[in-house]
Amino acid sequence: MKKLISVAVIAVFCLGFFCCDQAPKEQEQAAPAEEEMTVLTPLGHPPSITLKPMAPRLDTLEGKTVYIVDNIYPGSDLLLTEMAAWFEREMPKTKAIYKRKNAMMGGFEGEDPTLWAEIKEKADAVIIGLGH
Amino acid sequence: MGIPATAIVLAEFYEQEKEKALHEGMPEVRTQWIQGPVWAKTREEMRRDVMEGNNPLTGRPVMQEIVEKLTKPLTAEEKRTGEIKRDRGPETYTGTREELNKLFLEKRFTDFLPIVLPTPERVNEMLMGTSHDPDEVVGKMSPTNTGQYFEFWTFTVRDVAVNAVMAGCKPEYMPVLLAILSPDPRTGISKEAISVSDNGFTGAVVINGNIRDEIGLNYDVGAVGPYAHANTNIGRAWSLASINLGNCGKPGTTYMGVIGNPMNLINIVIAENEEKSPFKPFSVRKGFEKGENVVSLFEGWGILSAANWKVNRWGTEMDYPQIAKDIFAQQGMFTPTAVLSPPIANFIKARFDTIEEFVNWAVPAGPSFFPGFAKTKPKPDAAGDEPDAGRTAPKTPPMFTFPKANIIVTGASNNNYWSVGGLSYSRSVRIDDWR
Repeated sequence: MKKLISVAVIAVFCLGFFCCDQAPKEQEQAAPAEEEMTVLTPLGHPPSITLKPMAPRLDTLEGKTVYIVDNIYPGSDLLLTEMAAWFEREMPKTKAIYKRKNAMMGGFEGEDPTLWAEIKEKADAVIIGLGH
Repeated sequence: MGIPATAIVLAEFYEQEKEKALHEGMPEVRTQWIQGPVWAKTREEMRRDVMEGNNPLTGRPVMQEIVEKLTKPLTAEEKRTGEIKRDRGPETYTGTREELNKLFLEKRFTDFLPIVLPTPERVNEMLMGTSHDPDEVVGKMSPTNTGQYFEFWTFTVRDVAVNAVMAGCKPEYMPVLLAILSPDPRTGISKEAISVSDNGFTGAVVINGNIRDEIGLNYDVGAVGPYAHANTNIGRAWSLASINLGNCGKPGTTYMGVIGNPMNLINIVIAENEEKSPFKPFSVRKGFEKGENVVSLFEGWGILSAANWKVNRWGTEMDYPQIAKDIFAQQGMFTPTAVLSPPIANFIKARFDTIEEFVNWAVPAGPSFFPGFAKTKPKPDAAGDEPDAGRTAPKTPPMFTFPKANIIVTGASNNNYWSVGGLSYSRSVRIDDWR
């Protein structure tokens, strides 16, 4: 009796397996080929870019004044005061002036028109940091 | 100014700064790359590891490169002028569903979750949710709401509808989404949901008025959770629109969150539970009529259960106003923001007639500061870190003055839980203007 039940179970299992294996293939064959569709771009509109030439470079930094501008990001003051000291030590003929931006509103993104005017009048070159 | 310059930037921001330089019209700008981060380094570490170290991208000494960047003659490419015309590429794409889904993923038009493909039919149906002309320009957006780092992209009502379709929105959500994306009348700038900031901010909105029930916003059990169609899809559409209409959310260039923020996927969309709140709705406190459909915009860290704070003592006697006051005192940078369940709001109402009265008691007067703007304090135990005679003691200027706190009421009454975090309010917009 046990043997008969086992044979029956195996037979049912095989039949089920056969049917399960066949069903997806039949569905696949019956499915129509996928049609093409058109969709709209989801993008916004970027602006055109106006290229700007860079300022001409100096022949040498000797005898020149370099403004080292701290844009007040945390840590900038240590790095840039060290940089001013480096110029004094390694390039003594270059006058390096450390300036901390005074941007009460806007923080490191803010403008400092007074400092910009001073730079325009007195600086030969500028180093600014940090862009974090 | 016509003065030669070089900017010092952390090498980790190389891709971002190259894109920024292109947008500014100086694709070859001479940037000096250094090893980051520099924040919290000692003077000795700064000198040894950064200034006297090498450019991590070229392997050459930093100071040598700086001198060269100021003295080496310009190349023809660096002198180039003119205009680079740009457009957004093809207006349409054609292919099978599988091909288009793959293309949208490859072009990074998605948030990496499945989308609804924006066929013209679906977009037209979405546009039925507003009376505004599909070609009307809604606003302009960038990965920073000031546009200081990145250019602005402009977008139309139709462009918003395309992203709303992709997110899975219903047409009736369009007025809310358009109101969220409408420009700030003070600046003309629309608010992005996904900031470029390395902090990892999230966007948040509070919705008041009858539209909450009209479009099925959840303001009961699980109000701030993701399992409500309107809340989730409006929030997702804001983020997809930020990706596609404002160039946001691209890791390495326009998404620089050091850790990132999982809320960027669907943001925090809160419908206030005006019916269960003992206080005036948030929008009414901002000057709108009760029942008027209004969406208020926020940005910040997000929110977290107040139970996470030790001061939220667990016991049979709970002084919720005092707990809120103690937690508020721990918030920084963004405005302390409490999202109260109705039971907690009622505990506060028992002692304070109005939100204003409670906030004035809970948050001491005075502006908040962004402490990072202070000069570096010398570390007494740091070698070579002696006081600098040329520097005055650190003194932080009052950079920003924030509102004292934001209080929002939503959710259910099945327990005494509430959430708190840092979210700064920017403005409120009348939704019906976008119907």
